[in-house]
Amino acid sequence: MDAPRQSLSRKGTSMEFGFSAEQQEVRQLARKILSEQVSAQSLSAYDEYQSPRFDRALWRQLVAAGLPSVALEQRYGGMGFGFMELALFIEEVGRSIAPVPAIAHSVSAALAIQRFGSEAMKEAVLPLAAAGELLLTAALSEQLNEAPADPLAVTAVTDGADLVLSGTKTAVPFAAHAQRILLAARAEAGVAVVLLDPAAAGVTLADLQVTSFEPQCELALASVRVPAADVITATDGARVMQWIAERTTAAICAHQLGAADCAMRMAASYTSERKQFDVPVATFQAVGHRMADCYIDVECLRLTTYQAVSLLDSGVDATTEVQIAKIWAGDTGHRVSYATQHVHGGTGIDREYPLWRYCLWLRQNEMTLGCSSFHVAQLGSRLAAGEALFS
Amino acid sequence: MDIQFTEQQLALRDELRAYFGKLMTPELVAECERDMGEGGGPLWRDALRQMGRDGWIGVGWPESWGGRGMSPLEQFIFVEEIMRAGYPFPFLTTESVGPMLAEHGNEWIKRELVPRILSGELLIAIGYSEPGAGTDLANLKTSAVRDGDDWVINGQKMWTSLAHFCDYTWLAVRTDPNAPKKHKGISMFLVPNSDPGWSCTPVHTLGGVRTNATYYDNIRVSNDHLVGELHGGWKLITGQLNRERLSLINFGPVSQLFNQVVRWAGSARLPAGGRVIDQPWVQQNLGRCRALIECMKLIVYKQSWAMTEGVLEMADASAAKVYGSEGFIEVYRMLGEIVGQAGLVRAGCARTAAEAAKLERLYRTASIITFGGGANEIQRDIISAAGLWMPRASR
Repeated sequence: MDAPRQSLSRKGTSMEFGFSAEQQEVRQLARKILSEQVSAQSLSAYDEYQSPRFDRALWRQLVAAGLPSVALEQRYGGMGFGFMELALFIEEVGRSIAPVPAIAHSVSAALAIQRFGSEAMKEAVLPLAAAGELLLTAALSEQLNEAPADPLAVTAVTDGADLVLSGTKTAVPFAAHAQRILLAARAEAGVAVVLLDPAAAGVTLADLQVTSFEPQCELALASVRVPAADVITATDGARVMQWIAERTTAAICAHQLGAADCAMRMAASYTSERKQFDVPVATFQAVGHRMADCYIDVECLRLTTYQAVSLLDSGVDATTEVQIAKIWAGDTGHRVSYATQHVHGGTGIDREYPLWRYCLWLRQNEMTLGCSSFHVAQLGSRLAAGEALFS
Repeated sequence: MDIQFTEQQLALRDELRAYFGKLMTPELVAECERDMGEGGGPLWRDALRQMGRDGWIGVGWPESWGGRGMSPLEQFIFVEEIMRAGYPFPFLTTESVGPMLAEHGNEWIKRELVPRILSGELLIAIGYSEPGAGTDLANLKTSAVRDGDDWVINGQKMWTSLAHFCDYTWLAVRTDPNAPKKHKGISMFLVPNSDPGWSCTPVHTLGGVRTNATYYDNIRVSNDHLVGELHGGWKLITGQLNRERLSLINFGPVSQLFNQVVRWAGSARLPAGGRVIDQPWVQQNLGRCRALIECMKLIVYKQSWAMTEGVLEMADASAAKVYGSEGFIEVYRMLGEIVGQAGLVRAGCARTAAEAAKLERLYRTASIITFGGGANEIQRDIISAAGLWMPRASR
């Protein structure tokens, strides 16, 4: 597992809040493709589930540019960079609220398989995933259970070398599009993690229509047999799922950062143009100050997210830092959503104007993998156990 | 992106921690507490001279001026450690006005005054605000009028903190009453507080800290006391305020206080059984404070980094000031709730609990930096204009 933080050698020459040339290239490449290919017009095709919110042509273009597999090793067809580069890509997906399965495929599933899968599984799955020929996702959520490392609603029993799974997962992103779904189940002696083929007998997918229009399904398993080759671990899954949950949470924070930053700048531009009483609305101090508070909130989300991502990228324990980033993702998302709608007036909620879709995503991210209050409570109980104090 | 200190920076931190651990004798700690964390007492003076001899004054000044030439990140470590030790270091003199004098002062100032700042002998108060000039500082009325080779100064200043034990006042005065724009007619002088025309009366504040109203009655000074260009004072004022603003927010003491409250709540028992920290609302407050202070840490680290790299954005400096000053108040409130009634008992009574009394005082003194050092409304104006390119109303 990950090295404890104390053993991390601090050999860097100085504290560094900037980005390397490679990281800036990843960000610029992502921003270029996404700003060219995603628009209010193109997104309108998916409103109200008119069609599944998955732009396959855009996904192919991103795959061709190497972005979804930026953190996969080169021998599997990736670019061989780290989690920071992947998070910067996801921040840009958030900035454009692009209709692609970046977090589910690249973080929750591919990264986890690279870290915990057998060599045979990695060779079978990752090159196809990197090439865009195999879509992956992960089922991390259960009803009223925000702890992916502690699955309660799906059980696994052994049958020879295979596992047989029963139960229900919810809010599985892109489940109807994916060829493999990573999920955890409560086993007799611990937690099992498997890579499920949704075409297997006993699997039922029921479409959910969620606030952001993302394609999601409820996943029901009725004695589904998972062959031994598709079992990542039969008993040791709690730490695997914790690893996945922390990285997925950090990725959601990065997505939220991009979306919140974009919504904030939209509101700043709009109020600078829109005139009332013959002056730009932005010149009213009450409006300027509410936007200044958004700026501070977004900066807090940025710093806590980059810190969490950077620590995860170094492979050190970052449980506290991830929880703090998610608290900010929830708070910043909520406050920026309402502040930007408010200073836009009616325009903010007019479906002819692009802001409203951002507000839906700010809410989706706020509530996914634990809201702010949940993580505050988690952090508080860890403090009560003597953890997470300042060093 | 790498948010860790280097080996050298950690070594500096350890060196400073050991140094201040030795410097802060129990007698000095008691004197500083008596003086409400302001300093000015005889032991405090001795310690400052000691620091001067040991080369710990002017750590951020270039070596050519007699300083240590530390980077902003190293200075940040210095400030954190000195705050942690609880020594009321005269930052305004040494890190804020001092460098302005070393850079813009004339030969007399550089020869006579600057070395005495570095040796811990000379202290300077700041005279900007007046009864009619606060946030709108350029409206100040205190004047300096040329008389032969000298200048004659008349007027009144408010909130001249520390002036009652300082040697000079860094004074903003009007030298051109006819300047078309108010801020173009202002100059900076160094006025000796020993002059018979100088007087001060105390102003006592909610927090218990003393500040002053100061009066300038026909004080005659030579042209040597003019700092920088005649009518060119505004640039020096804003330069000094920018330096001051950056030193207002630090996270070392507040993170220490947080840890102390967590440890206390983890051991204190409730009369009905269980620990204070077992209560859900206490954990809620602690979780909230932990997330808030973590962000304060990142903001000040980033600021120091940005200064070291020369990429500090104006909006980010203002955001740090607003977030930090308002965050302190939130934290003091939430931690104060946890210690409860004990957090209303002042220091110095037989039933005082040290950590709780600290919260009693901090909560009572925390408003100063939301309006001091540039009111937070002005900072938010700067953020929306410089950070989000929003137009501002003309004033």
